[in-house]
Amino acid sequence: MNELSQNDLSKSEQPVAALGEIPAFGPGDQVRILTRSPIGHYRVPSYLRGQRATVLSVVRPRAIDNEEEGYGKNAGWKGYYYRIAVPMASIWSSYNGSSSDRLQIDIFETWLAGE
Amino acid sequence: MAHSEHHHHSHSEISNTSAPSYFDVMEAAVQELLIEKGLIKPGEIRRQIEVLDSRTPALGAKVVARAWIDPEFRQRLLENGRAACEELDISFYDDTQLVVLENTPRVHNLVVCTLCSCYPRPVLGLPPDWYKLKPYRARAVYEPRAVLAEFGTHVPDDVEVRVSDSTAMVRYLVLPMRPESTEHLNEEQLAALVTRDSMIGVVPALNSDGGV
Amino acid sequence: MSGSEHLLTRLPNDIGGLPADQISRVEHELEPWEKRCHALADVLDYHKIINTEEKRRGVEALGSEVIAHLSYYERWIAAFANILFEKGILTPEELARKMEAVEQNWAATLSEVERRMGS
Repeated sequence: MNELSQNDLSKSEQPVAALGEIPAFGPGDQVRILTRSPIGHYRVPSYLRGQRATVLSVVRPRAIDNEEEGYGKNAGWKGYYYRIAVPMASIWSSYNGSSSDRLQIDIFETWLAGE
Repeated sequence: MAHSEHHHHSHSEISNTSAPSYFDVMEAAVQELLIEKGLIKPGEIRRQIEVLDSRTPALGAKVVARAWIDPEFRQRLLENGRAACEELDISFYDDTQLVVLENTPRVHNLVVCTLCSCYPRPVLGLPPDWYKLKPYRARAVYEPRAVLAEFGTHVPDDVEVRVSDSTAMVRYLVLPMRPESTEHLNEEQLAALVTRDSMIGVVPALNSDGGV
Repeated sequence: MSGSEHLLTRLPNDIGGLPADQISRVEHELEPWEKRCHALADVLDYHKIINTEEKRRGVEALGSEVIAHLSYYERWIAAFANILFEKGILTPEELARKMEAVEQNWAATLSEVERRMGS
């Protein structure tokens, strides 16, 4: 036991982050909003499901998954929201505007996959 | 319903007081029951009504005017909207963060909440009805330029429109461009040019001649 | 899709991108009870009796028919009542009785006012 804790001390220069503590994505990352159809509660509008997006920033502090918060979960595990941008022209095939127009939204991490 | 209508008719000749609606009665009843059970205190509701009454677009206008005259404040505002507002003694009475979206000659920002009515209440107060109704919420995300045109705002093709759908824990405030020919105005006079709608992003801020 | 699942998978308030009318720039001053209802929502969230996300979920759970016909704060108070029943904080009977008492109090106050006005 003694030997082990001494070893631990000597190795402890680099703290290990807990699962989910470090953001999975950073600014500039390409992500995809997942296509799924929850019932009861969600905060990812239907019109954005399946879209490819660019991460603009990580929203801090971490927060409870709002799908769970909607059923009264007020404490416990928290995760990140990411502010992302999606080109209007890729959401709406008949988009009538400039090709650089875009939609921005905050999406919880359980809805995003890396590209 | 029939009950309250009865009251309304029998007393309407002699008093302007109309019977409370079904929902008015329900609200009063819920509140009384929660107070009786000790879950909330009557003073809390009264205090929160004062909080709500004290939040108007004048606060947001003060923030914008300060950002127009103080480049360092503007920088801090764009980095952390909530902390910069708190510098001006505007507290955030809820858990929301504030992101300030800067309009430039190249970028025009517009804020909407398609899923409900998320709005930067600590700095703007409660949203107007049109912000909460279907036409604005449904259309702002797929034809923002047409929506802007209905507010009289015509955004040139070479200006990028960015629509922020505000649905989570972050609230958005648009920092409109400072209108031309306003160099001679002081902070208070500048704040008077900043309207609620310009901070939602549906119109620009105008100078006293109506110019941008 | 067999045709009915969208009634569950698309929430009534998920309206971004749907066809809709021209914007009519309506606004109104909140009625006293609407302002009370908003303050109640904030206080319920402060104590996490009903958090903001539960309120949104509770409004969606009213269904599109009810949402279409109730005003903004009418939906909120109806959602609060349902959530408080679900949590066992209030019972339907308690609320019904209290609503009756509130109406009776109002009527009594009004007749007192009328009596003083010499009607």
